[in-house]
Amino acid sequence: MLTETERRILEHLSKVEMIDDLQLSSSLELPRSTVMSTIESLKLKGLVNIEEIVKSYYEVTEEGERRLREGMPEDRLLKMGRVEIPKAKERLGADFELAVGWAKKKGWIRVENGVIVPTVNTPMSSEILELKKIKADPDYAPDPDIVKTLQLRNLVRRKVVKRLIIRITSRGIKALEDSKSFNYVGNLTRELVISLRNSGGSVVLKEKNVEAEPPELTLGRKHFFREFLNEVRETLLEMGFNEVYSGYVEMEFYNFDMLFQPQDHPAREIHDSFSVEGFGEIRDKELLDRVAKVHKDKWKYEWEPGVARRLMLRSQTTATTSRILSTKPLPPARYFTIGKVFRPDSLDATHLLEFHQLDGLVLESDYNFRRLLGTLKEIFKRLGVAEVRFKPAYFPFTEPSVEVYGFIPQLGWVEMAGAGLLRPEVVQPTGVEGRAGAWGIGLDRLAMLKYGLSDIRDLYSNRVDFLRKMRVEL
Amino acid sequence: MPTIILDRSRVTRRIKISDKELNEVLFSLKAESKEIDRQYIEVEVNTDRPDMLISEGIVRAAKGILGLEKGEAIYRSRTSGLTFNVSRVRTRPYALAAAVYGLELDEEGLRELIQFQEKLHATLGRKRKKVAIGLHDLRKVGSDSISYIEVDLSKKFVPLGHKEEMSVKDVLVNTEQGKNYGEIAVSGSSMPAIVDEKGDVLSLPPVINSERTRISTETRDLFIDVTGTSFEAVAETLDVIVANLGEAGGVIGFVDVKGAPVTISPLLRHTEVKVPKSYVNEVIGVELNEDEIVEHLSRMRYNTQRGDSYVKVVVPPYRVDVISEIDVVEDVAMSMGYNNLRPEIYVYYRKGDTDLRHDLISQVRELLIGAGFLEIMTFVLTHSSLLMGRYAQIKNPISDYFNAVRNSLIPTTLSLLSSNQTVSMPVKVFEVGEVVISPCDSDTGYCNETRAAAAVMDSEISYEDIQAPVHSVLKSLGLSPRYKRTASPYFIPGRVALIMHGSEEIGILGEVSIDWLNRLNIEYPVAIGEIYLDALLRVLKGKRD
Repeated sequence: MLTETERRILEHLSKVEMIDDLQLSSSLELPRSTVMSTIESLKLKGLVNIEEIVKSYYEVTEEGERRLREGMPEDRLLKMGRVEIPKAKERLGADFELAVGWAKKKGWIRVENGVIVPTVNTPMSSEILELKKIKADPDYAPDPDIVKTLQLRNLVRRKVVKRLIIRITSRGIKALEDSKSFNYVGNLTRELVISLRNSGGSVVLKEKNVEAEPPELTLGRKHFFREFLNEVRETLLEMGFNEVYSGYVEMEFYNFDMLFQPQDHPAREIHDSFSVEGFGEIRDKELLDRVAKVHKDKWKYEWEPGVARRLMLRSQTTATTSRILSTKPLPPARYFTIGKVFRPDSLDATHLLEFHQLDGLVLESDYNFRRLLGTLKEIFKRLGVAEVRFKPAYFPFTEPSVEVYGFIPQLGWVEMAGAGLLRPEVVQPTGVEGRAGAWGIGLDRLAMLKYGLSDIRDLYSNRVDFLRKMRVEL
Repeated sequence: MPTIILDRSRVTRRIKISDKELNEVLFSLKAESKEIDRQYIEVEVNTDRPDMLISEGIVRAAKGILGLEKGEAIYRSRTSGLTFNVSRVRTRPYALAAAVYGLELDEEGLRELIQFQEKLHATLGRKRKKVAIGLHDLRKVGSDSISYIEVDLSKKFVPLGHKEEMSVKDVLVNTEQGKNYGEIAVSGSSMPAIVDEKGDVLSLPPVINSERTRISTETRDLFIDVTGTSFEAVAETLDVIVANLGEAGGVIGFVDVKGAPVTISPLLRHTEVKVPKSYVNEVIGVELNEDEIVEHLSRMRYNTQRGDSYVKVVVPPYRVDVISEIDVVEDVAMSMGYNNLRPEIYVYYRKGDTDLRHDLISQVRELLIGAGFLEIMTFVLTHSSLLMGRYAQIKNPISDYFNAVRNSLIPTTLSLLSSNQTVSMPVKVFEVGEVVISPCDSDTGYCNETRAAAAVMDSEISYEDIQAPVHSVLKSLGLSPRYKRTASPYFIPGRVALIMHGSEEIGILGEVSIDWLNRLNIEYPVAIGEIYLDALLRVLKGKRD
């Protein structure tokens, strides 16, 4: 298949038989570099022959140019006819000696008593005629004798150049003929496809710069953090946990009181959670009474139902765990929830006002601490954290309590979860039988580790550009 | 969690231990340490162990876990001959006192004691609201009878750190501590005070002590007053302090108390917890015999008595965290070392349950991505001026902007578009997220709803730019949506419709009004649709049944 340029060159060659590169370049108005590269590729395909020749030619000198304009000195002398030497000197100036010398040498004049007398009638020297021909055609081959004189008189100089002589081959002629049966087109269209199908003809599509970068295209894409949350969710489902939900607006009762956090606990101070106007209604009066009693008995203070009924934005997904417990599930049971929690915090690279937690609950008649550690180990193994370490910890609603540290190659041991067996003070008021293990995992930090982000705000980036370009993790 | 700064030699001269070992011991005691420099370390202590907010408490616990000392530490005590009279103080009715003799306080010891006082104020004391502590140089008190009374605001004394006498009122108005803590105790024209026999002020709880009884490295004997709003908390705090001063080598001095629920203080109250042996094993999931349980408990500094099927555990006065048996069980597990407990292999039988809701969310996401929309995740919190109708308003917002919970995805999606006007157009985004609506039938009066919003922003927009993809998504879900003319301030009149399925409203869509584009500084036209996935779910479930 020929390119457009190849086809044009072959076309031209078929008309001129042979041509050199310079002439080709000027005839086709193509840059010389394009001509050179194209003929090279044509040669490789055997469509042209290239012969390198050394070519000599004569170039008219500046002196020659002047003589072409003014005439040769001897010609000018002869045109004066009979003339006295001083007068001829005056009119020819510096050329006088040359004029007299060459005229004498050619036998055109004699000198009598200080007067120059012509002896011939045709005052036109052969030098001028040759100069004119050389100037008109660089390839003109001049008379060797005259050239000697011209060189002697510094009217021409000899030049040597290398030229590529290009000739089309018979295969080239064939290729050119073949190509004439094609149509060159830009983009294929449905009409063209149909018409070619019907006509049996063919087209050649213009070549494109296929190595250039394409224009930008934006894809519809899933959000990477949502995908991460779904992976975690799938992991818990695979492990046999049932998914549950509860609302963002929660009563303090479920967020704190049921979790045995006394009403004057520092975590319940106004600046540690967002409050919402109004009060909820604790519908299970028995539960309410039992929670009230356990607070009075164990923390030894006057528990106020009004405080428990206050509304807030849940500060931990453990509120969902409370909600589950309040439905008195029967052991064995496993639940998890993934959702947003809210805390008044300064917005910076590690803190947001809202973030995601995973809370889990296992209820079994004989659940124990070692089994809880095994559950946690398994969750983290499945989330890609192979090595974990357990640290004693304190949470108001669990005992024994444990913090889980995971080993992250670049960072070392990173705190990943808080967990424990729910305190009897939490489980008993609900009337639930058996022992329960519970845990909370901050999912934002895990996602940051997975995606190599150092700023939590990138998880919730509002920059469309960032989301369009985010690399997809395998 | 509270952190304290320690001169590590105050620990390592009492127990021979390397820095690394100290780290490990603190780790197994729920604490964590970080090196500050060659002399100091910063230790983060859990809030349940206020007794460990000073070197002495850490050393006592560490000695046990290292097996250097077992069982409860015994501290010397004697009577002090001091009397503490508690009269009626309205704002902070409870007060107890103690003396401690024979202390040797060097610079670091003094610094840590004051730090201990401050950390107790912050934790057990609930920022001095519940409990406040006064530490006095007993020799400077110069009186055997000390009283807790209300004084008039005109009463004068020299507050700690000052040279001149000031009136109580001046202290409350003009000193930093007065401004911070005065309000929680002042009552009309009177203020609680600890005074000596002559009525001179020793301290003004919970605000400030007097300069007169200031403690220093010269101080050998201490008088301690603890006041507050809860007798329990006052008694616990005093026990924690004197036990740690006992650990430091001091002799605890009992004070006669008048006008309080007790006659002698400190109470140095022990409690007893009966822990069935089987309970320890069942909870932890181990098989310890009685000797082993007793050994672990003694390493956690408990004295024990053996019963038939249980171990009676005597909880020392400073272990204010022990509420019931389970707390003692945790101590056994800590003594064993959490990382020495072999985690049980996780066993599961079947995949967990989820509901149709999540399948619907997944499908809607897939379909919208297929329609070329980019998924976004915006914040649930937003500014109330962007919301219509009823919504959850935050009473105590921390920033001017985030003061309400969204009740629609439309405003948060528009906010996002507003900050993305310089990227290549069109911008097509969607979010599946939760909103909170009210009123609704729940015990809080608020309900979460899951919705999906999709929006197109371009240099030119028509209604069909959003209607077509939304319609395709709904049709793919097997629905036959109809559109019903409506009006909404978010949209241009005549370019907005409710999405209906039968009589159920399942969403709204249209072109965003110029007013709202202006409000959000959006220079491009926008079309947006919101689908109510909960309503959709009801429709789909109805179709299934």
